[in-house]
Amino acid sequence: MTATASDGTQEHHSRTDYERATETITASRRHTTNTSLGCGTPFDRRTLLRGAGALGAASLPLLPTACSPDDDALTFFFAANPEEADARLRVVDAFQRRHPDIKIRTLLSGPDALQHVSVYCAGGKCPDVLMAWEFTYAGLAKRGVLLDLNTMLARDASFAAELKSDSVASLYETFTYDGGQYAFPEQWSGNFLFYNKKLFAEAGVRPPPGRWEEPWSFGEFLDTAEALTKRDRSGRVGQWGYVDTWVPYYSALLFGMNNGVPWSDPRMNPTHLNFDNAAFTEGIQFYADLVNIHKVAPTASEAQSMSTTDLFTSGHAAMALGGHWRFQTLERAKDLDFDIAVLPTGPKGHAAHSNIGTTGLAISSSSRRKQQAWEFVKFATGPIGQAVIAETGLFVPVLRSAIHSAGFAAAHTNVGNLAVLTGGPAHAEGLPVTPAWPKIAALMDRNVSPVLRGVRPATALANGLSREIDGVLRTT
Amino acid sequence: MTPIDASATAVTRRRGYSKRRARAGRIFVAPNLAAVAVFMLFPLGFSLYMSFHNWDVFTPAKFVGLANYRSLFSGDPLFSIALRNTVVYTIGTVVPTVLISLAVAGVLNRKIKGIAVFRTIIFLPLAVSSVVMAVVWQFVFNTNNGLLNIMLGWIGIDPIPWLVDPKWAMTSLCIVSVWRSVPFATVILLAAMQGVPDNLYEAARLDGAGELRQFASITVPLIRGSVSFVVVISIIHAFQAFDLVYVLTGRNGGPETSTYVLGIMLFQHAFAFLEFGYASALAWVMFAILLVLTVVQLRLGRRRAAQEERSWA
Repeated sequence: MTATASDGTQEHHSRTDYERATETITASRRHTTNTSLGCGTPFDRRTLLRGAGALGAASLPLLPTACSPDDDALTFFFAANPEEADARLRVVDAFQRRHPDIKIRTLLSGPDALQHVSVYCAGGKCPDVLMAWEFTYAGLAKRGVLLDLNTMLARDASFAAELKSDSVASLYETFTYDGGQYAFPEQWSGNFLFYNKKLFAEAGVRPPPGRWEEPWSFGEFLDTAEALTKRDRSGRVGQWGYVDTWVPYYSALLFGMNNGVPWSDPRMNPTHLNFDNAAFTEGIQFYADLVNIHKVAPTASEAQSMSTTDLFTSGHAAMALGGHWRFQTLERAKDLDFDIAVLPTGPKGHAAHSNIGTTGLAISSSSRRKQQAWEFVKFATGPIGQAVIAETGLFVPVLRSAIHSAGFAAAHTNVGNLAVLTGGPAHAEGLPVTPAWPKIAALMDRNVSPVLRGVRPATALANGLSREIDGVLRTT
Repeated sequence: MTPIDASATAVTRRRGYSKRRARAGRIFVAPNLAAVAVFMLFPLGFSLYMSFHNWDVFTPAKFVGLANYRSLFSGDPLFSIALRNTVVYTIGTVVPTVLISLAVAGVLNRKIKGIAVFRTIIFLPLAVSSVVMAVVWQFVFNTNNGLLNIMLGWIGIDPIPWLVDPKWAMTSLCIVSVWRSVPFATVILLAAMQGVPDNLYEAARLDGAGELRQFASITVPLIRGSVSFVVVISIIHAFQAFDLVYVLTGRNGGPETSTYVLGIMLFQHAFAFLEFGYASALAWVMFAILLVLTVVQLRLGRRRAAQEERSWA
């Protein structure tokens, strides 16, 4: 057996007779494992493995730099639908033009933002700046994931004064938990109604009111939805009066709220949700009846083929419940001429309300770039960033100066009832803020769904669900 | 050098070589062993340790003894629902899977022209990811425009709300699960059937036994070991169901609690409620249930085999 490669030669000389004998026997097989570098220099398997090992070892020192995040970039975690993401990036660009020294790396959330950010943070890669939601931020705040922004605010008196004078208090206080301020609101994302102007005109139905001070009743809403629901001869619905583009078991509770009862009392750290209040469950029942009794809204089966948003954009639904996060999608829909209106008020309600509905920006307590993060949060939630947000039409801003700015109106020229948006934050009621929200949401999904399917009355929620939620809130 | 010296030297050389070979073998196996230790043994031990703690990933774990196990068995009404759903799902998957696989393997075991094409077609679902499969089945199960309801409509059956009605959701899930499990079970059973000696069938044919009789009296008894393996593996897979349920009926195992199985419960507690200790306890309870089921099944199988051997003797 001859030497097969330059670095294998020495070893060849030290081989025993036994090896040589074995090699002779296996020589015919061996040649199949020999490899050539393509330049006429064959080398054996051992050499190949050695080479691979050496290459692997050599690349080890490079790993930390190759896998480490962009060290000087500030990471920003947010959720957005594709249309929103474009506008969001324009806001980030605006920040970078003003702060060229601060690089931003954006992290777009998957479908479950809380789960996504939890995995990041648990893995020691908590983003520096995080989008925070009214329902779920308390869980992260309680676990010490979010920085108390009061610590930064105390060092920035001028911004604190600016924020205080220009903020909508109820939105700002949404992120005040156990004495700490864990995020600054960035948008109002409460719900209202979108309606298709063309379908209303064709049916000769009066459009719903466009100011929160002008309520319309559940009865009027039902009459409108019935007038706009069109069936063919076989009874198949070709046009729905109303569709829900939010989460049905949340939307039902908005109708309970507009029948004069808040979801919980108190709002922060509640010990009880009002599922045992008759007026609250009447509102929920009214909502369920829209589908099951009056048949002016599609069932879950009927909305399986086409999403409710698509039903509205394609002209197969006259009214749609949703928030401003749908705006970019609806604005880009072909042949859709829409406007917005306020939610209806129940017989026991006193005024038309939307919900608070807000997201904010928070800073991770483990961030190594807190000052840079603070600059970004200040920008996006302060007057300059809010004005940019207003101009891009990304969100309904939360600072009064931006809400009533010419830029916001210019970004919504096709909206006749702009007062629904500009008056929204002031007419929005707060939803419960508790670290136990994921558990409560799961309970509601399980218990409210039979009511929405029409197999159980809403009054049944007073016993089972109410008790279960109280139990969860007690142990939180 | 005398012949004895030469032979002793050869033995020493051989020993030296085999030692080097053994060392090389250990070095080659080491990365895999390290991977098993890091990605399997450590998580196993860690989850057992965490099952005695309250841990939300962010704050330090707090030792709670057996509290997680106690509340699982006494204080959590959803555990019994999840257990019941898992048992229904397991039975609804395993029984049809074994029966259909037996029949399909029996058909594919024939020596006819073009059988290789049919075998390939039958095994195709094995190559498709569960998530992709679930997404496709969502379209099939669509109430108004789904393929299944359209076909049922041809024979006069009204649309069935497969995935949106709690009464039907579990049935739908089992259908998809059976569709996914059949190819694997068929591969195993077909391989076993091909090991059955032809002379037994010849003898049976000479005695006048028909195809069905041959299948029931020769094939099935002789592949009992493989059937038992398929049953054990199918039970384990069904008990650990998660991906299919998550995509098909949602992360809460809906509608309502109709497809809320143990895998979904585990995921929900770990990643939605951040109760990793509780989820770990649930994982170990699932492991214990599976272990008991498997041991009982293997014992029963062995006893049956021993009884048969005695009866033949």
